Amino acid sequence: MEDKITLSHGSGGHKTSELIADIFKKNLDNEYFTADDAAVMPAPDGKIAMSTDGFIVSPWKFPGGNIGKLSVCGTVNDIACMGARPLYLTCSYVIEEGFAVSDLEEIAKAMGETARKAGVKIVAGDTKVAGKGQVDGLFITTAGVGVIENEVNLSGAFAKPGDSIIVTGDIGRHGCAILLARDEYGIEADVTSDCAPLAEPALAVVSKIPATHVIRDATRGGVGTVLYEICDASDVGIEIVSDDIPVDPAVRGVTGLLGLEPLYLACEGRLVIIVPSEFEDKTIEILSGFEETSGAKVIGRVTDEHKGKVVMKTSIGGMTFLPPPGKELLPRIC
Amino acid sequence: MNEAATILKSYEGPKIRIMEVCGTHTHEIFKLGIRQILSPDIELISGPGCPVCVTSADYIDEACWLAREKGCVITTFGDLVKVPGIKSSMIKERGQGADINVVYSPQDAVLAAGKDPDREYVFLSVGFETTTPSDVIAVKYAKEKGIKNFSILTANKTMPRAYEVLADSTDCYLYPGHVHAITGTADCKAMLAKGTSGVIAGFTGPELLTALAVAVKKCQEGEPFLVNCYPRVVKDEGSPAAMRLVNEFMEPCDALWRGIGVIPMSGMKLRDEFSEFDARVKFAIPDMKEEYKTPCRCGEVLQGKIKPFECPMFGKACIPDHPVGACMVSDEGACSAYYMYGGLTGNGR
Amino acid sequence: MCVGLSAKVVSVKGDVALVDSSGARREVSAALLDDLEPGEFVMVHAGAAIARITSDDITESEDLAKEYLS
Repeated sequence: MEDKITLSHGSGGHKTSELIADIFKKNLDNEYFTADDAAVMPAPDGKIAMSTDGFIVSPWKFPGGNIGKLSVCGTVNDIACMGARPLYLTCSYVIEEGFAVSDLEEIAKAMGETARKAGVKIVAGDTKVAGKGQVDGLFITTAGVGVIENEVNLSGAFAKPGDSIIVTGDIGRHGCAILLARDEYGIEADVTSDCAPLAEPALAVVSKIPATHVIRDATRGGVGTVLYEICDASDVGIEIVSDDIPVDPAVRGVTGLLGLEPLYLACEGRLVIIVPSEFEDKTIEILSGFEETSGAKVIGRVTDEHKGKVVMKTSIGGMTFLPPPGKELLPRIC
Repeated sequence: MNEAATILKSYEGPKIRIMEVCGTHTHEIFKLGIRQILSPDIELISGPGCPVCVTSADYIDEACWLAREKGCVITTFGDLVKVPGIKSSMIKERGQGADINVVYSPQDAVLAAGKDPDREYVFLSVGFETTTPSDVIAVKYAKEKGIKNFSILTANKTMPRAYEVLADSTDCYLYPGHVHAITGTADCKAMLAKGTSGVIAGFTGPELLTALAVAVKKCQEGEPFLVNCYPRVVKDEGSPAAMRLVNEFMEPCDALWRGIGVIPMSGMKLRDEFSEFDARVKFAIPDMKEEYKTPCRCGEVLQGKIKPFECPMFGKACIPDHPVGACMVSDEGACSAYYMYGGLTGNGR
Repeated sequence: MCVGLSAKVVSVKGDVALVDSSGARREVSAALLDDLEPGEFVMVHAGAAIARITSDDITESEDLAKEYLS
C-alpha cells in the first residue's frame, strides 16, 4: 500500500477493497463485520436504544487517545446513558486526501481495541475520501444500538428535588488535553484525556439501583452544560458545592492561567448520575469498583428552588450562579 | 476570615459605599457570592475597572478596519473578541474571513509576527497599568529583533485620574491589587491626602473579605484611611523596573472611556520615536470617532450612579449573547456579572 | 481588570522565566522583576511576572485581621 490516502481509495474500486482489508477488517474484525451492503445480526430481546454522533477533533491524536477511540466511546456512552448495553456500532470515515495510511491504521487500531474493551462489535463501515482541504484530516461518524436489559427509565427530565448529583471523576480533562495539544497558548502540563467507554459502570449502577433517575454523558459542553440541560428538562434547580467538584490540579493550573471555567471544559469519559439521596453511598460504592469511575464524587443536589438555574455554594460560604453555558471559551486577562 | 465575614454580616449603621475599580474584583465578588453575606448597610459599587468595557467603540472599528482594509492579522486577548464597535465587531469580521487570533500574551503576538514576516501583525493593546508593561515588552522585543511587521493599536489606560473623577461616588475605594503591584501605593496616598479613603485588595476569598472588613471598620472610625491589605504582592514602591520600561516607550495622552467620556491624561500611547510600532501611524487609520448612541445607561453604571438592573435595556435587549452596552460585553463587565451571577436575592444585590 | 495567577519560578534564563502553577508550566517575561530566582513565587499576568509574592493569602489575612479587626 502507498503511504498516503489518495482519491482512488474512496472510489469503490480495488484500492478501496485493499484499504478495507488491510486497515479496517484487520483491526475491527468480528463475526458480524461485513463487506456486504448491510450487516446481519440476531435481534436482541426487549427494547433497543440507538444513537449516532459525529467526531471532528483537531489534533486527531492527544494524550489519552485519538479520534478512533473517541468515536467508539462517544456512541457507547450515549447508549449506556439510557441504561442500554451497547451491542453493535457502524462507522463512517471521511478522510482527507493525503492523510497518512499509518495514521489511519493507528486510528482504526484504537477503534478496535476500544470496541473490544467496551464489549461492542463494529459491524459495518463506510469510507469516503475528500479532496485536500475539504476536511481537516478525517472525520468519523459512528452509530450504535444497544439493548435495555433491566427495567430502567432514565431521562434528563427525571431529576427530582432532593436527589443527589454525582460526577464519575475529575472534570474537564479532555477539553484541557485538547487545548494543550493544540499548543496555541504555550502552556505545558501533564494532562491526559479522560476519554473512556463507560457502559460497564453505568450498567452496574442501573442494574443495582433501578431507581436511578438520570445518567448523562458530559461531553463537549462539559459538566456545567449538562447540569443546565437537566435543570431545564426536569424543571428543577441544582445546587453544587464548589469545593466538592473534583478538578485535577494541573487542569486547575491551566484554567487559572487562561481564566477558563473547568465546569465548561469538555469531558469524554465522565457521567453525571442523579439518584435519590438514599442511594448516594451505594452509587459511589458501585462506581468505585471500576477504574474509569473510581474518582466518583457527590457534587450537589437537586432542589425545587431557583428553577432552571445552577447555583454554586462557594468556598467562603456564599452562593453564586454558575454562568449559563454557550459562550465560546476564550482566555481572558481581565 | 470568619472574623471578617462576621463584621461584614453584622454591620449596622450609616450606609457605607465601597467602589471596586477592578473588573476582576467585580467578577470574583460575584463568583464567591460575597454580596449575599453583606449587611444591607454595605453597598458595593462596580466602577470602571474593566479595560474591555471602557475601551471606546471606535477603537473596535479601528481594529476591524485594519483586519478588513489592510489585511492585518489581529492578535488580541480573548476578552475583546466579542466587543461591539459602532460598525462591526471582531467576531463579525472573523466570520467574513478576517484573521483574528486570540493570544495569551503580547509576547506571543510578536513571536507569531516574527515567524510570518510576509504579513502585518497588529496587537490590540488594551489594559491598565498591570497589562501595559507586557505590551511594551512586546514592542521592545520587536525593536531589538528587527521585527518590522508588528505594531500595536493602543488604548492603554491609567487609573489615577479616574480615581479623582469618581471620588464623590464612593466612601472607600477597593483599590485594584495588581495595578498597584506595578505602580506602588503613591497614587493611593495622593488620594488619601485629598481625603479619599481606600484599601488595596487581593483577589481570593480571604483577601476580599478581609479587605472589605478592614474598610468597614475604618469607615466607622470616621477618619480618611488607606490600608494595604495585599502586602504580599503590593509593595510601596511597586515595580520600578516596569514603570521605567513603560515610561521609556510610552507617554500619557487623553483617553476616551466608553460610558464616561474623555478623561485628560488617563491614557498611554507610544512615544514618537517608536511610531513605527504604532498601528495608527503606520497604517494612517482614518478618524473613526463618531458619537455612539445607545439607550444603555452604561455611563451611570460605570460611575456607580445606578445599578445595572436599573438600566431599561438590562436583561432585555442587552444580554451577554448580544451585548448592546459596554458593561455587558466582558464577563467581568458590571452588567454581565450582574446578569450571570446576580439576582440570587431577587433584587440583584 | 487583571487576572493574576500565582506560580513558582522553575528556572530563569535572561529575561525569561519558566513558571509552574500547580503543574501548568509556561514561559513568561521576567523583565519586570530584578534578580528573580528559581523557587520564588510570582504573580503572573498576560505573560509577565508582575510581582513577587512574599506570603500566602491565608496567613496575610490572619495578620491583617489581628492588626485591624480585633
